[in-house]
Amino acid sequence: MNKVAIIGVGHTKFGKLEDKNLLDLLCDASLQAIENSNTNDKDFDAVYVSCMLAETLNHMTAIASAVVDRIGLIPAAADHVKNGPASGGSAIKNAFYSITSGACDMVLVVGAEKMTHITTPGLITSAVATLTHHNAERVHGVSLPSLAGMLTRTYMEKYNVPKEWITSIAVKNHKNGMNNPYAHFQKEITLEKALASPIIADPLRLYDICPISDGGAAMVLCSAEIAKKFCDTPILITGVGQATDTHIVYEREDLTVLKALQICSKQAYSMAKKTPEDIDVCEAHDAFTILEAIQSEDLGFFKKGEGAKAAYEGLTEIGGVIPINPSGGLKARGHPLGATGVAQVVELVWQLRGEAGKRQIEGAETGITCNFGGFGNNILSILVERM
Amino acid sequence: MSETTIVWKKCKKCRKLQHPDHLRCIQCKNTTFDTVKSSGDCKLLTYTILNAPPSEYRDKKSYTIGVVEYSNGLKAIGQIISSENLKIGMKLTSKFQKLTENLDGKEIFGITFKPT
Repeated sequence: MNKVAIIGVGHTKFGKLEDKNLLDLLCDASLQAIENSNTNDKDFDAVYVSCMLAETLNHMTAIASAVVDRIGLIPAAADHVKNGPASGGSAIKNAFYSITSGACDMVLVVGAEKMTHITTPGLITSAVATLTHHNAERVHGVSLPSLAGMLTRTYMEKYNVPKEWITSIAVKNHKNGMNNPYAHFQKEITLEKALASPIIADPLRLYDICPISDGGAAMVLCSAEIAKKFCDTPILITGVGQATDTHIVYEREDLTVLKALQICSKQAYSMAKKTPEDIDVCEAHDAFTILEAIQSEDLGFFKKGEGAKAAYEGLTEIGGVIPINPSGGLKARGHPLGATGVAQVVELVWQLRGEAGKRQIEGAETGITCNFGGFGNNILSILVERM
Repeated sequence: MSETTIVWKKCKKCRKLQHPDHLRCIQCKNTTFDTVKSSGDCKLLTYTILNAPPSEYRDKKSYTIGVVEYSNGLKAIGQIISSENLKIGMKLTSKFQKLTENLDGKEIFGITFKPT
């Protein structure tokens, strides 16, 4: 099995980008990654384009064909990868196996979403809710925030957790986002303000929930053998895992257990021959504060029921025992759906190269992601290391 | 389907209760099922009051969604016709009824719960 290296990354500003359309975001991020990897004059074998709602929100199909045409990568193979908000993670997984198998040597992954031009109330919520189970959940008006609200209530009752422990995750992620020039929000918030923000899906409030964002992120991957020709600090992908769980959320025995994450992170750890104790930095999928708390448990960093407490006590801050979301996470960096899974790994690349500026985790050598493609029913975990 | 009966599936082989959408058992892959009907009364497992409805429910400012468990172990999700004095573990009755119309004007049916 060939080893896989990331030799360059790109990341547009995330936020409300009025003068950029979906294709602009995909191409801007791609060209940055190509420039960053010194592969301007190289042919690519394959391009994986991640976007969740191109058809619904942008009336575009065949976006992978559009990207290779616009950035001059014809005749590279080009695929549009769709797996909900884990489309980015799935695109990276596809690129990874295309190289490990020996089929490809040079591959581009790019993810983006253009969302903020939609102004109809409820339309984005409704478009995202199409990923829930149609007959059991969606017809009843179940949205992603409502599932997160119910999960938060169950977790608080089961483990006797006060809401401020959970919401402290938003405060920490906003603090980290302050030092990320690409983040949607570069503004600190106080716990008092977050706990008093409008209720969206009781007990979840506005500041517990990620924003709707535009943005793109990209990376160039190649077989590790040739990586040093292009880049002094290649970052290896050494573990990839993916697993699924029941589509109907209430059909799980215990709502507060993300079985798919337990399985896919174990796959990633085992492929890389690592344990949770070896991880220096993590990028989690905090679409809602409760998710980061539970993910930190099912990734193996904390015991069940102790994730929110650990965050409240500062264990997941930069400088803590396991820093989570130094980028600001989905909460502050923003959540352009198709870009998120790629942006998570881009942040780990910057951290492992020592290029993360004021949010740098000193000496970070190993990182892991958690990328959600539904409400815990399709999850990817990607583990990266310094070469 | 009657207005108050909710029909679920139980695997003939491993006896796992599940949503009728499953074509093969989620636990053992078996394809034969018995029909299980809800008893009408159930208890509240968890809930949320949603203040940001998706566009299918654009005519409502807010509504309550809950997960319940019937005495036979069957679980279901639906809308609770109340947002006040809700408590985990409280008794509810359930009904199958029209909930809303989708963006194409088609009637949407589903489960509702009411405190007893």
